[in-house]
Amino acid sequence: MVADNGKKSKVAERGEEDSDHVDGELVLSIEKLQEIQDELEKVNEEASDKVLEVEQKYNEIRRPVYVKRNEIIQSIPDFWLTAFLSHPALSDLLTEEDQKIFKYLVSLDVEDCQDLKSGYSIIFNFSPNPYFEDIKLVKTYSFTEEGVTNITGTTIKWKEGMDIANGNGHEKKGNKRPFAEESFFSWFGETQQKNFSDGVTDEVAEIIKEDLWPNPLKYFNNEADEEDFDGDEDDEEKGSEDDEDGEQDDDDEDDDEDDS
Amino acid sequence: MVADNGKKSKVAERGEEDSDHVDGELVLSIEKLQEIQDELEKVNEEASDKVLEVEQKYNEIRRPVYVKRNEIIQSIPDFWLTAFLSHPALSDLLTEEDQKIFKYLVSLDVEDCQDLKSGYSIIFNFSPNPYFEDIKLVKTYSFTEEGVTNITGTTIKWKEGMDIANGNGHEKKGNKRPFAEESFFSWFGETQQKNFSDGVTDEVAEIIKEDLWPNPLKYFNNEADEEDFDGDEDDEESEECLLQNFGLPFLGHLQDSKYFMGSEDDEDGEQDDDDEDDDEDDS
Repeated sequence: MVADNGKKSKVAERGEEDSDHVDGELVLSIEKLQEIQDELEKVNEEASDKVLEVEQKYNEIRRPVYVKRNEIIQSIPDFWLTAFLSHPALSDLLTEEDQKIFKYLVSLDVEDCQDLKSGYSIIFNFSPNPYFEDIKLVKTYSFTEEGVTNITGTTIKWKEGMDIANGNGHEKKGNKRPFAEESFFSWFGETQQKNFSDGVTDEVAEIIKEDLWPNPLKYFNNEADEEDFDGDEDDEEKGSEDDEDGEQDDDDEDDDEDDS
Repeated sequence: MVADNGKKSKVAERGEEDSDHVDGELVLSIEKLQEIQDELEKVNEEASDKVLEVEQKYNEIRRPVYVKRNEIIQSIPDFWLTAFLSHPALSDLLTEEDQKIFKYLVSLDVEDCQDLKSGYSIIFNFSPNPYFEDIKLVKTYSFTEEGVTNITGTTIKWKEGMDIANGNGHEKKGNKRPFAEESFFSWFGETQQKNFSDGVTDEVAEIIKEDLWPNPLKYFNNEADEEDFDGDEDDEESEECLLQNFGLPFLGHLQDSKYFMGSEDDEDGEQDDDDEDDDEDDS
């Protein structure tokens, strides 16, 4: 055992010297590595800034195109309602009552802050209607430097007996169709602070901003194709009345009608 | 009822005229809307291209920095092993046997295709070792235009009796610690085609590429801080003692690390009287 002890001591001594030596080198290497990481971080920040610049530039380019688009949409009745109802996720969010309210929806707008970083707003513009006083319902997302998202939304000025977002109104019409239970308009009241690290996001906002807003026509067309412009300028009743009475249209228009 | 019929007829007629008129206008509006969408699509493609250009440019700038970084890492024993074991997700992927193999890991490299769009490779460089013939294990992800991802990986030339990725080796050591059941090296054999729309991705690859590779030092440091260079260069026996005491798997590899000195001293009670001890934290 003595031999072993002696050997261990030598190893220990050499270990100490090596330890000093190696620890010193190690510390130095780790410091150099930290410098490299700092250098990489600077490069990455620069890259992020440049990418943001590009995105800001193209956002400016898109703005007037969206304005033009909105004008054209004005000539298409119930455009946004149809697009909503044709969207696989959004259609589930509208109750029967919501759909009636959406008939008064004039336009949808998604506006980014100019710097893109600070946030954005989703704006629903309505014509005067029997449901609420507002003509503009807005939900806003503001991002702070610390990674917090502040969410604010219009407090809807419901007319008397119309507050379907909070329980009034005619919700219980029987459950023949898979309508949402809760009014879509309660979404404007869902305002809170979220931490970026929570990972929880406002899915409805994301879907509207990232999916519907860039190209609502592709959703609108799904439904328009099915109907082939089959006649919703009238209300639902009249349209079916014509068919019910057997008064067939002899015009050429009929050739386009697809009862698919 | 006659009056009604008459009225309906007039409505029907007017409806037809309006229908022609409105349908025509409607069709026109939708066509104009489609043109706008086409215009937007062009703008969006241009934006994507410009963003890609920026990212390609900065990827080129980063390349030589990564080369420099790799040189420095060569002076830090078991750097990548330590970083792996300090990473909350990756540490769960290494079996005890894997960790021994990782002692031979010389460097890790993540290389993007130059255009960034076509894919990337994750490369593990090993020194000659008793486990397999290869000195380079690679997993490659290639993206096609159609949105398909082709995944290829090195078929490891395991030495005899060493194929732990496929069942050989010494896996059943008892389950005292939460080691992975399956060898990490089976990951190289998980090659398949994936469709982008499937949404299923190779999480390990993503974690290595997006999280570990950009800054492995932050993970390495977590562990180095806790240990404060406290560990051991000894064999498994002391390793097992410590592990039984603390039940902490991550200490295991540190026992084997060349640069962690002094556990024998500690066990024998032969304390170091140097100033170095002032730095030792038994936290």
